[in-house]
Amino acid sequence: MSTAFSEEQRDCLQELINVAMGLASDKLARFLNTFVHLQVPAIELVNSVQIPAQFEARYSHTEAALISQGFLGNDGLRGEAIVLYQLDNAHRIAALLGYDTDSASELEMLTDISSILTTTFLNGLADQIDNSLSYSAPRVLSSRQNNVPEALQETAVHWELALKVDISYQLVDHSFNCDMLLLIPGEAVLNIQQILDRILEEY
Amino acid sequence: MSEDWLTGPVLEQLNSGVLVVDEQFQLVYLNSFLQRHSCVQLSEVKGKSLFQVFNDLPEAWLRRKFASVLELQSPSFSSWEQRQYIIKLPHLRPATSSSQYMAQNCTMLPLKDPGGRLYVCLLIEDATDAFVYQQHLQSTLQKLELSNRIDGLTQALNRRYWEEQLKLEVQRAQRYKQPLSLLLFDLDKFKQLNDQYGHLGGDSVLIELTARVRALLRDTDWFGRYGGEEFGIVLTNTGLAGAIEVAERIRLAVSNTAVTFHEQSIPTSVSIGAAQLYIEGDRAHEVLIGQADIALYNAKREGRNRVVAFSEGETEFLLRTQQA
Repeated sequence: MSTAFSEEQRDCLQELINVAMGLASDKLARFLNTFVHLQVPAIELVNSVQIPAQFEARYSHTEAALISQGFLGNDGLRGEAIVLYQLDNAHRIAALLGYDTDSASELEMLTDISSILTTTFLNGLADQIDNSLSYSAPRVLSSRQNNVPEALQETAVHWELALKVDISYQLVDHSFNCDMLLLIPGEAVLNIQQILDRILEEY
Repeated sequence: MSEDWLTGPVLEQLNSGVLVVDEQFQLVYLNSFLQRHSCVQLSEVKGKSLFQVFNDLPEAWLRRKFASVLELQSPSFSSWEQRQYIIKLPHLRPATSSSQYMAQNCTMLPLKDPGGRLYVCLLIEDATDAFVYQQHLQSTLQKLELSNRIDGLTQALNRRYWEEQLKLEVQRAQRYKQPLSLLLFDLDKFKQLNDQYGHLGGDSVLIELTARVRALLRDTDWFGRYGGEEFGIVLTNTGLAGAIEVAERIRLAVSNTAVTFHEQSIPTSVSIGAAQLYIEGDRAHEVLIGQADIALYNAKREGRNRVVAFSEGETEFLLRTQQA
């Protein structure tokens, strides 16, 4: 099974993701009533074995949260979206979302934020390829005391390929950075390649 | 579609709650599951505000969730682990669950009718079973944690846990410049006692001894079984004089009354070594154990059934025996 993407496939995917990110930032801006600037996300296809090492440096010395949400669409499109962020970042966006510390637990706040980020972005991606997605409830894989690279390792081992999407949300008064990882199992990678090839043929 | 007839019956018989509100949060639909559990008839509440019909909802929170579903046209979720329930409903395990209300996993989905009007669908799944299992797991873990600290025979702390506490108390005493003392004591002639009365006899003496000692201690003292018939007590905020006093009371409590086992009277006594913490540094707790052990050894050598305190000059003896 070849999980390598051709250059055309890769470019096509980057383009789809750019548009999805644009749609997501537009929605978020209207929802949050503030200007949201999203940088063009850098995407990278990585072997899932390499993932923990890549994040170790960024997340091992800070309080970080790791939230997972499964997604499932037509044509065998499926995977797991992981959102990683540093907790002090999370508090900034929580204030924007109208959370005060007593009304909701920290975990609830974390899952809400990552669910909003994940579903707005992935819905935008699905729209472009005439697909639609359903989602599982978001789950906290690790937060605070737990070791993020370790938790990632446990998750990543089940997946063939990971699409690493670096997302940086820039809000007017706040900056908020997080990493999104789309972990995709082997046969779903083949399905995605077929979807990409179909789009490329249409051009 | 020819399968249209399916939707109604399935929706009505679904073992999950389905509730739909419009953009003004007015009730549009409730399935049977919710009508039955909440004793509300759809015909009576249709068109009314959700928050009037269910007046103990977390309103501000739910408005925010619904607003995000409508605005972003993407689903939102709520887990029983973070919020046990959204709508207070009875569950179907009234006899076997300790919780009063149904634990709920909820999904909020965006809906659009053919006319383009927007709605939010609230799906409520009963997670009471998971909630109950989680509670069992937690209480089991608590018991396990306790049994992990306790010596099964005597119910005193086990050696590993006791030593951890000693180490912590030594650090605390050093930090706050408070006195701390250690008693190590040993049941006299335990081997002989086992030979004479059998191991069950020996065991019952250990159990009785532990109970008598515990009755003499404060809540803040740490009492553990150090070895077979050897015990240790960490006396917090106690100097050597106080420690000797406690030790003397323990010695008398043991030697004054014989232990009764199978209608036999077993006379026993203990030898006790006492030492106060004076050393600084990371290994202070080990040194303290060593000093109390020397004092205990001297109590044995001097004829048993007595309390001996460690005195400074004996450090050399310790060093000598270690080198030998």
